[in-house]
Amino acid sequence: MTVADAPGTTGPPLDTRRVDAREKVTGRARYAVDRVPENVAYGAWATARIGKGRVVRVDTAAAEAVPGVRLVITRFGPDELHDVGFLMAGGHAVQSLQPLRDDRIAYRGQPVALVVADSLVAATEAAQLITAEYEEEPFTVKIGAEGAETVLQEQAIPLPFLADVKVGDAEAAFAASPVQITGTYEHPAQHAMPMEPNASVVHWEGDRLIVDDTTQNANAVRFGLATQLGIDPADVEVRSPYVGGGFGQKNAMHLHLGPIAVAARRLGRPVKMVLPRPQVFHLGAFRPNTVHQVRLGANEKGELLAAIHEVDQQTSRHDLFPSEITTVSSRLYATPAFRGEQRLVRTDVQTPGFMRSPHESPSMFAFESAMDELAYATGRDPVELRLAHDTPTDPVTGLPFSGRHLAECLRRGAARFGWDARDPEPGSMTAEDGSAVGWGVAAGCYPGGIVPVVAHLSAVADGTLTVGVGGHEFGQGLRSAVALLVARDLGVPVDTVIVRAGDTRVAPQHLTAGSWGTASALPAVQAALGELREALDVPASGDVDVAAAVRATGRPAVAVEATTLAPGQSRDDLAQLDKGVLAIGGPVYPEFVTFSWAAHFVEVRIERTTRRIRVPRVVSVVDCGRVASPVTAASQVRGGVVWGIGQALREESEVDSRFGGFLNTTLEDYPVPVNLDVQQIDVDFIDEPDLRFNPAGVKGVGEICMVGVSAAIANAVHHATGRRMRRLPIRLEHVL
Amino acid sequence: MACTVNGRDVSLDLDPRESLLDMLREQLALTGTKKGCDQGHCGACTVHVDGRRVLSCLTPAVQVAGQAVTTIEGVAGEDSGLHPLQQAFIDHDALQCGYCTPGQIMSGIACIAEGHCGSDDEIREYMSGNICRCAAYVGIVAAVRQTADAVRNGA
Ligand code: FES
Ligand code: FES
Repeated sequence: MTVADAPGTTGPPLDTRRVDAREKVTGRARYAVDRVPENVAYGAWATARIGKGRVVRVDTAAAEAVPGVRLVITRFGPDELHDVGFLMAGGHAVQSLQPLRDDRIAYRGQPVALVVADSLVAATEAAQLITAEYEEEPFTVKIGAEGAETVLQEQAIPLPFLADVKVGDAEAAFAASPVQITGTYEHPAQHAMPMEPNASVVHWEGDRLIVDDTTQNANAVRFGLATQLGIDPADVEVRSPYVGGGFGQKNAMHLHLGPIAVAARRLGRPVKMVLPRPQVFHLGAFRPNTVHQVRLGANEKGELLAAIHEVDQQTSRHDLFPSEITTVSSRLYATPAFRGEQRLVRTDVQTPGFMRSPHESPSMFAFESAMDELAYATGRDPVELRLAHDTPTDPVTGLPFSGRHLAECLRRGAARFGWDARDPEPGSMTAEDGSAVGWGVAAGCYPGGIVPVVAHLSAVADGTLTVGVGGHEFGQGLRSAVALLVARDLGVPVDTVIVRAGDTRVAPQHLTAGSWGTASALPAVQAALGELREALDVPASGDVDVAAAVRATGRPAVAVEATTLAPGQSRDDLAQLDKGVLAIGGPVYPEFVTFSWAAHFVEVRIERTTRRIRVPRVVSVVDCGRVASPVTAASQVRGGVVWGIGQALREESEVDSRFGGFLNTTLEDYPVPVNLDVQQIDVDFIDEPDLRFNPAGVKGVGEICMVGVSAAIANAVHHATGRRMRRLPIRLEHVL
Repeated sequence: MACTVNGRDVSLDLDPRESLLDMLREQLALTGTKKGCDQGHCGACTVHVDGRRVLSCLTPAVQVAGQAVTTIEGVAGEDSGLHPLQQAFIDHDALQCGYCTPGQIMSGIACIAEGHCGSDDEIREYMSGNICRCAAYVGIVAAVRQTADAVRNGA
């Protein structure tokens, strides 16, 4: 395998391997709770066992009698834990409902008591001994069931980017279309389940609160805790240098942080808390259940005349988690008329949230399945039909796309896959062992966002460079991309560059999600490199002998800082960052619109007797602008493809109207793809810089790589069997 | 309870319910071994006991009395370099977030020693007890295969 690439400069080839891999393979990387402070105490939740209602009485006597138990808390005073608010409503937390502040039980699995003990064994035992008396109320966990309450998103959250999409008169155009495709597609609720569960250790140094947390948003933790505890954000330090997977599940402050901070203050000891895996299913974000009604109108040649995408998306009773489902379906193809409508359905669950390509992959499952139906209805090849609807301008705003190489993704993918050899007739292809073979294709797009980032860069006389940057590293390769940028720019070895990320001590830590992390951080680092060259008095480009240049200044070290914003953003957005509030630019900018693009080609095989569905090979071609870090980007794409396999064939968070909450809350009952589920994944990049978007030319890669995969699998299953799969996951009973 | 961990003698007073995983992490501060589920479902906590791979979250710590425990911190040679499989994980980018990685490497070393590396499919099967949510599976198989081949060729 290649570990080096041609440098932009005259130095030796750059080592492009992941820069923090050595720490990770040796076990030396320090994740949130890999700190074992002296005298640490352990926290554990006891949780509600009803679907909804009120707590009348919590019996803590047995728990308190467990040796080693120091605290059992069933209620915090209003002045002890203030309101923080839901991340998507201007707050910082995973939901507005903070447990243990009143007697309300909104859903099964909500905490009713916190235990803190000298050992984890004692805390766990005590939490299990806690019982409660409840007043039960009727509840609803399904979006189609009685008691679910539907609101129109456009009216409920009047923000422009969440409004209905209206281009032309789509209803009239659809009604007049000679070819009409109508389908209802359902995407289940799913849980991200990063391998590292939500976990934290907190302690007080006088009035300062020190927090090690696993988070994609250290700013939310910092400002959320400051708000919740009524202290100065300057007194809260949050460190999250290594995150064991995020996938959106760690986008906001979690609910145990405030309570354990209070407990730590009361006890005068550090407190550690690791959520047991089953509790992770009820205490953090999940991808909400969605039902999509898609209607495509076309002429006999398959040319789109109208597209309509209506969505019902689950939310909680206490918060509105907004839907951006039609943001992508309205951008994928040239259509004279489009209508997108998003409705939110209140159910009795914790507030849903982000999970890798949160809206985009369900959206594309529905929309790209419908496009496949259109291809079959009009006798067009599915690749060729998509190519025929390419467009350089955004159908919604009329602005140009800053970069759109979707057609090239489709052409290159088709060639690599050998699409030409496909017999379009469903059920026509068979493997040697008798398995039915299906080949499917789907495309996808993902919005290009940018957030304000501050980067600090320092050079010392031994030639070492340290970058402190806004952004979290959770495996996507941010550290590697930053180190490679610096190494390429200055012509220095990668291992002389130290990257510090995910730490409020080094830079403000905006939420790292939405695939904007690298596209936001690299321009800031690039700007800092310019500042550094000036401070070192070296030319604006070309190799730099960093050690010599620092020595020549007569100072032991030279430190610079740079801040960058999204196109069209102002100082006000930077002020938002300083308050810990989201400040996201895009995908619509003043002069252009930015998306990442991908095409996926999938082969499925369905065994003759067992009907087991396997995915022996996938070809994915991605347009994510310039590829900043080739090794880690390819891993991102392979990972995203596997997520698509899980989404299509495995993952569903099940509910039962009799019980409330989620049922399959272990990694055994919630099956994510394992090694044996994955075979050949062939990845290619267009690798064309998108320089209108940002001077580094990079767009997001970590989510686009998943968008469309599940649709390609569903389309491949149709090709193998002749049966349309309009609900995920596809299980063997659906292909019997 | 007395055992050895990475060749060092360890002697501790333990609650009989404490898992080997919590003993390693919380008592000995050997935090390279990870907790992914605490239920035996994910493999993140894999260590070796007398050379066999075990899930340390399902193993009561008292049960390893008199036995030799090896964790990710103990697999490299005396020269504190890297075990060949650790190096292969770096070279094949067989990781992303790194959280499952210590468990993958402990399982991989055992998989090679068990002789379960006859084909890529056999490696996949015998590495399927270790979930990687980042899904670095292609790299994991490549790293285990390369290391197994090197062992077989006497490298
Ligand atoms: S932590 Fe032991 S198997 Fe998951
Ligand atoms: S590397 Fe993240 S779970 Fe495997």
